[in-house]
Formats: sequence, C-alpha cells, structure tokens
Amino acid sequence: MNFILLLLPSLLSALLAYLVRPYRAAVGWVNAGLSLVSVGAALAFAAAILAEGEAPTFGPSELLRADSLSALLMVCVAAVATLALFFSPGLGRENQYDVAQLRRYHVFVNLFIFAMLLAVSANNVGIMWVAVEATTIFSAMVIPLALTKASVEASWKYILISSVGIALAFVGTVLAYFDFVALSGRTDNALNWPVLLSAAPQLHPEVMRLAFVFLLIGFGTKAGIAPMHTWLPDAHSEAPSPLSAMMSGVLLAVALYAITRWKVVVDAALGPAFSNQLLLLLGLFSLLVAAFSLVIQRNYKRMLAYSSIEHTGLICIGLGLGPLGVFAAFLHLVCHTAAKSLLFLLSGEVLHRYRSTELERVSGLLKVMPWTGALFMGGVLAIIGLPPFGLFISEFALIRAGFATGRPGLMAAVLALLAVGFVALLRHANRMLYGAPPQGVTMGEGGRWRMAPLFVSVSVLVVLGLTLPTPIEALLNLVVKVVAK
Amino acid sequence: MHAALFSQLSTLGSSVVLLFGIVLLCRRSLHAYVEAFRWQSLVLAALLVIVGHFGEAPELYIVAVVFLGLKAIFIPRYLERLAKRVGAEPESQPYVNITSSLVIAALLVLLAYGVMRPLVLASQLPTRGGLPLAMGLIFVGLFIVITRKKALTQVVGFLVLENGIALMAVLATFGIPLIVELGVFLDVMMGFLVMQVFVYHIHGTFESIDVEQLNQLRH
Repeated sequence: MNFILLLLPSLLSALLAYLVRPYRAAVGWVNAGLSLVSVGAALAFAAAILAEGEAPTFGPSELLRADSLSALLMVCVAAVATLALFFSPGLGRENQYDVAQLRRYHVFVNLFIFAMLLAVSANNVGIMWVAVEATTIFSAMVIPLALTKASVEASWKYILISSVGIALAFVGTVLAYFDFVALSGRTDNALNWPVLLSAAPQLHPEVMRLAFVFLLIGFGTKAGIAPMHTWLPDAHSEAPSPLSAMMSGVLLAVALYAITRWKVVVDAALGPAFSNQLLLLLGLFSLLVAAFSLVIQRNYKRMLAYSSIEHTGLICIGLGLGPLGVFAAFLHLVCHTAAKSLLFLLSGEVLHRYRSTELERVSGLLKVMPWTGALFMGGVLAIIGLPPFGLFISEFALIRAGFATGRPGLMAAVLALLAVGFVALLRHANRMLYGAPPQGVTMGEGGRWRMAPLFVSVSVLVVLGLTLPTPIEALLNLVVKVVAK
Repeated sequence: MHAALFSQLSTLGSSVVLLFGIVLLCRRSLHAYVEAFRWQSLVLAALLVIVGHFGEAPELYIVAVVFLGLKAIFIPRYLERLAKRVGAEPESQPYVNITSSLVIAALLVLLAYGVMRPLVLASQLPTRGGLPLAMGLIFVGLFIVITRKKALTQVVGFLVLENGIALMAVLATFGIPLIVELGVFLDVMMGFLVMQVFVYHIHGTFESIDVEQLNQLRH
C-alpha cells in the first residue's frame, strides 16, 4: 500500500499533464501538491524501518523492497522532487516557455521522478537498472526545452554518453547473473538483491571482479565520477533549473545508490578491499578534476555542476573507507542533496533576473534580491563545508574515518583539494553577491513567499550541522549495517 | 551429439553477429549501416530461438519475437525514414580510417578473449564459446560510437553495442528474467525514439548532423 502511495502520485501527475491540453497553471499546482503524498509515503517507510527494523516488500516475486538504504534515498528523492515541482516553470509566474513546452516539461519531469523513485525501491537489480536508464531518457527530453544550440548539444552528449555508460552497467549485471545461474540455476527472483547477496560468498571472485568494474564504470557515468563525468557540467547547466536541482541533488545520489547496492554484493564475494580501492581512486580523481575545473569557471551553473562532481568524489571516498566512512558518506549525501538542490533552484531565480549564466554578468545579488542573495550565500557556505552547516560535520566525519583507517596521505590530498575548491567557490560567490548591480536589472524580490519552501532546506542543513537528530542517526546506523557489515 | 550441435550452432551464430558489426566499420553510407544492423538483428533473433530450443528456455521464444519486431523491423525502418528526412550525408571521414578501424576491431576482439577468459573457464555452458565474441561486439559498438562523426551513425553504433549485450545475455544465462527483459526492451525503444528526436533537433538547429559542430560547451 505504502509503495503505491510512493510511486503512483508521480505517474498520475504525468498522466494529468499529458491529458490536459493546453497546459494550465492548475496542473502544475496539482502535481506539486500530489508529490507531497510521495514525501509522506517515503517518511512512513523510514519510520517503519526505525520502528520494526524489517524491510517491507511488495508485488509479484517481491519486486519492490524498502530497507533503510532505500528509505533514506526515497526521502531525499521525494523531498527534492516536491521542492523542484513548486519551482517549476508554469506555476503562475512569467516564464520564457510556451504552453506546449510547459506540457512537455510537466509530463517528462514527473516520469523522471517516477523512474528515480522506482530505482531506489526496486528489489530486483535488473529493474533497478531499467529505472536508472529510464531516468536518462526522461530527463534528456526536458533539457532542450527551448531549442538552443547549447541545450541541443548538452542533451545529445548527455543521452549518448549516459546511455553507453549505463549499457556497460547492464553488462556487469548480466555477468553477475551469469555467475549466479551457474551456481544455483535459473529462478525468477535470482536478481533480487537479498537473494544475490546470500549467494554471493559462493560466486566466482574473478567473475565478480570483472562485473564490478563494468558496474562501476556504468553507474559511475551516471553518478558523474571522473573521468566519465564529461556530460555532467553541460547537462546540469543547460537544463531548466528545477531539473538541474533534481539531477544534481538526487539523480547523482540514485546512481551512487546503485553502486552501493552492487558494492555490498561484490564485497560479500571478494571482501571489501577491491571495491574500496577502486572507489578511493576514482573518488580522489573526481575531486582533483572538480577542484581545478572550479577555479577556471566562468558560468555559475557549471560551477555548481563541478561542485557536484567534487561531492560525488567525496561520497565515493567515504564509501571506500569502511563503516565509519559509509556513515559519513551517507550523511554527506543527505546534506549535499539539501544544499545543491537549494543552490540550483536559486540559480534559476538568478538566471531569470539577470538573463545570463555568465559569472561576469552577475553582481550585487544581495542588493538586487536580498532574500535570494542571502539564501544563495547560505547555500554556498554550506557546500564549501563551513559550520554551522551539515556538510562541515559530514566532511569532518569523513576525514576522521580516513585517519582511523590509516590513510593520512590520502586524507591530506583530500583536504588540499577541498581547500582549492573552497577558495574557488568563495571567490566566484563573492563576485555574484557583492559589488554594484549591472545596469538595467530590476531591483526587488520576485515574490517573497515563493522563497519560503527553501528555508526548509536551509533549516535541514543547519540542524544537521548543529546536532544529529536521533531518528536520522538511527537510520544512518541502519544504513551502515546494510552496506558495511 | 545434441550438446555438440548446440555448441557449434551458437558459436557460429555469434560469429555471424559479430561479423555484421565489423562489416559496419567498412561502410560509409547510412543505408549500408542500417542494412548491416538489420541483418545482425535477424541473425540474433534466430540465435535466440536456437538457444530457446536447445537450452529448454521457452520464454526465449517470446523474447525472440519482440526482438525481431523491435530491432529487425521497427528500428531499421525508422532509421531509413530518418535518414531520408535529414538527408543521408555519408560518413565522409571518420576519425579513424577504414583500414585502421579493421585492425583495431581485430585487436578489440582479441582483448575480449582476454577479458572473458575467467568466465569461459568458470563455465560449463555449451554456449561458452560465443561469450568472447559477444564481448568483442560490445567493444566494436563502443568503438563505432566513439569514432563516427554523424549523430545517426553514432545511434547505430549504440544499437550495435546493445545487440552485443543481448548476445551476451542469451549466451551466458539463456535469457535474463522475462520481466527485466521486457523492461530493457521498453528502455531500448524509448531511448531510440528520444535519440531520434534529438537527431531532428541537431539537424534543425545546426543544419547538419555532423557532431563535430557540437563543441560550444567547454570547461
């Protein structure tokens, strides 16, 4: 029942947006309202896990399943989706799109949300793959909403590189299934994650090693892990801002979730050393690429996109550092989701006012739009890891996990690269926030109440920075139990 | 006798499927690309039936029918139509010329044998002989996507890559669970339709489908 409440609203929203033509603002509002049902269902899953500790399943051959890891991701996805829907174009304020484009936007964005929710609630890793691939297809349809050369280029790169990448993840899935079939014969639920996990210790290590390489390259392409990240800055900067918020805030997290699921199975077959080393290596490389790309950025949406690569890298490093690191990684994932979706939604407001994504053309934001500017400043301070925001705590925990597992050299490198990103982001944000506003920019907020939902994101970040509330800590501990035994 | 025949047929079938992938490398016109892809899909569908029969996996018959409809009829026909609408510009000068492409393809197949060795050793399947060929086709598909300059030929390269995966799935596991297989088909179809829309977009905004022009977004 709960699964239906989680998944059905986004499907209904897509259907509604498809049926009502021409597009009307009411459709957008109804969709945003419906998405609150998904948030409720996701929270109910998290509460049920905390209360009972058992993972509910649903459907023929237990197609869907919600353990602590799934529940955490469900909450993130559903919450960011709701925020993004409230900020979507076509909800009663001026926008640059016509009704046909708005209709297309609302159909595909809701399908995209559905695919993400399905990916994190699928028990069958094959279905999980199908859902992750579907996220690419649906989100790619929304990127070139206004057909500019840049957005067409971005969406082509996105769909081609991501589809090829994700196809390689399917090779990995097939290889793992091949090994499973050789061991225990063909059964319908063989691709169910718990079944795979229980068989994993008997699987052939050499086959699983090969499978994991394919899976990591494949889902890593979607997660924006360097060197497979090349599509990401283009797609995230050219997409309409609410879609960027979802792509950066939660789509990357969904891909990391898929990697985590497979890491658990592979670790049961091989021991954790192999996957940990790969994750540490790729994580550090992502951090390196992102830090230096941040320095040379001239476009603030691309700057935010590279910052996402930086944080993906950090999460990978956390995943590779054992139980303490896994705890830090998922805390970091939650905080990054809150901060980055906030920043991308605000960047939409900035773009709307300044009509440019160039850093050079944006200045005096605090004077032009005091609330937007203040929130943007808060978001930037949060993603560079300053207290009192959650990312400070998670980065601190991550570094501590690194030292606890005896990797001081690695941690020194991580800290140095974080410092590079810190300085670069702060310098760019300074340019945007202070100084004289350019000529011809209208002063004043667009509508103060519109900003109200974003204060929820900020308060989440501050609360996580000051204290770790017991339910969240308990949920994260359960996640650690699932991921790193 | 039965097993030996099965083994020979599956290896033969996989070789032919791989061969059509390599044929693509020495063609230039889009029409030839589509033709090679259509034949490859036909042979692969036949192979699905063979594995279904000898491997006693009757649901593969369903998969074969859907596969035939989607990849040997629907997609090639759409590709032809697309080529007519956007003007079939031949693949003038790929990043790697034909002779070197063939040499590289040979090396890729060798590499596939190396990569798949542990699997072939671990397996008792009669179809294991074809596994490296499937991996070879996956590599060749990747190579086509990377080295071709036209959006449409890149799409065909991607479809070849997917055929490689389908070949590997059927040889290695006699078919993945049906529900996943159907999901994969749905993704393939939607993905193809979206890519097709984008080819129109590229043609409309850049007045050509040469992806070399897609170079505005840097850093």
